Amino acid sequence: MRIIAVAQNTFRESVRDKVLYVLLLFAGVVIIGSKPVGWISIGQDIKIIKDLSLAGMSVFGALVAIFVGTSLVYKEIDKRTIYTIIAQPLHRYEFVIGKFLGLSILIFGVILLMSIISAIYIVILGGEINHWYFLASFLILMKLWLVTALAVLFSTLSSPILGAIIVFCFYVFGHSTGVLIDLPPHFEGSWSKPILESLYYILPNFSNFDIRSEVVNGVPVSYSYVLYSIIYAILYSTFFIYLAILMFQRKDV
Amino acid sequence: MEAIAILKTLNLTKKYSGFSTKGYYAVDNISFEINRGEVFGFLGRNGAGKTTTIKMICGLLIPTSGKAYINNIETINPLSRKKLGYLPEQPYFYEYLTPRETIDFYCKLKGINSRERKQEWLRLSELLDLKVIGDIRLKNFSKGMRQKIGFAIALVGNPDFLILDEPMSGLDPVGRKHIRELIHQQKELGKTIFFSSHVLSDVEQLCDRVGILSKGKLIAIGHIQEILQQDIQQVEVIIKDLDISQTASLQQKGILIRKWANYVHFRFENILTANQAVAECLQKGATVIEVTPQKETLEDYFMRMQIVEDNQRKKDDIYYSRVEE
Repeated sequence: MRIIAVAQNTFRESVRDKVLYVLLLFAGVVIIGSKPVGWISIGQDIKIIKDLSLAGMSVFGALVAIFVGTSLVYKEIDKRTIYTIIAQPLHRYEFVIGKFLGLSILIFGVILLMSIISAIYIVILGGEINHWYFLASFLILMKLWLVTALAVLFSTLSSPILGAIIVFCFYVFGHSTGVLIDLPPHFEGSWSKPILESLYYILPNFSNFDIRSEVVNGVPVSYSYVLYSIIYAILYSTFFIYLAILMFQRKDV
Repeated sequence: MEAIAILKTLNLTKKYSGFSTKGYYAVDNISFEINRGEVFGFLGRNGAGKTTTIKMICGLLIPTSGKAYINNIETINPLSRKKLGYLPEQPYFYEYLTPRETIDFYCKLKGINSRERKQEWLRLSELLDLKVIGDIRLKNFSKGMRQKIGFAIALVGNPDFLILDEPMSGLDPVGRKHIRELIHQQKELGKTIFFSSHVLSDVEQLCDRVGILSKGKLIAIGHIQEILQQDIQQVEVIIKDLDISQTASLQQKGILIRKWANYVHFRFENILTANQAVAECLQKGATVIEVTPQKETLEDYFMRMQIVEDNQRKKDDIYYSRVEE
């Protein structure tokens, strides 16, 4: 019950964050604005709109997770609202998990809203929407929960600005892990090779959650792949939240 | 058998270390107990380590060494805070919540069920007069109202033990009086209260025992009646209609504090000198308005302890809190 109380409060707090509305507005502009972009590619406009809508969800969802997530615990300490919370019979892990769940629920709401609005928009424009479109949205949600876990970890360690920069780097590199496996053979004998190889195994591979082009082009995706991606997200998120709990456990507030 | 001590600290220490500077001890090896049902005042100058000690007891800071126990449960265990109410210095809340929502949230954190949460709001809103402001967002509240909400949060779940860190800080006289009454009310209900304050008259009025902290060290602890010198220290006398020329002989016996209209205010070192002065005034046809024997106050005691401590530190060539060796 205490975790739920913290989660409810975090959700309520995040809903009031102005950053959320600015990002949602931009996401809306991208989804609606995808129509003129679609005109450039003759006969492919629905595909472009679907592609841009899913990309918009991914990018703007990640920005919400990063900007709101990296300030979650830090803000409580900075504004001293944490004093009366930790002084309750509340385990510190309950606080961290509650914070993560609260923002995760918000991101679920954001993705649900964006996928429904974009689906309606696509149908209005004469396109077809099947369950794969929603599964692609769901995998984006999984990725965003992973980013949220990472952001919560950094919110226990650093200031929101530094945390946001680091998590954003993780996000960018996590989408380019292919480069990290392609490059090392070119650095044979150099110290760069083991570093790049280690990074490949350490960084979460965000490309695992990207089935956008398959869904847009009607290329079949196996359910086992979707399941694998879900398990991958759960394991990585659990690991990051576990680290966040370890960091917060003996932190002076 | 129920333990008498509700709070026990054993060699509690907090050391802060810097990257480039030597660490220093904010709280240095302090041990004390607070018994069930007593009101304990925690005194000290700014930076003495009062808030650091309180934060360690409430689980906000992790002690560098030593331990603290509430109801025999070590304070690093959150269960020790089940029957604890804490009011931080200048409490901060979620600005977007109303008092009703705030109390509901803290009830949930205390593990109180839905039906009891409603009753808890009724009890606290009645006690602290929050009904009218129950649905107004906290961001619109004044300092005094925030302190009231902070007090209400500390009382959620009707805890046995209250820790109040500077509960009267920054309040106007009306706000201070209200908080003092609330503390008194809780004392009457048999609650154990541990509070830090700079307002020594309030502490003297409310507390059974006091502890004085100086530069991280507990330099004195005891019952107020025991630690204050009970002998009459001075006698203050106010006299009316005393001829100015006649004050010279009185000035040989005591100190002329103030003169206004046809009144004079004298201070004498002991009751014997004061009696002689009073007799002399009456003989000269003046009226004695007031004779007040002065005993040592908590403020006098506090200042005395600080001077002793400062002299000792000067002798030992230590001017600040203990620095890491």
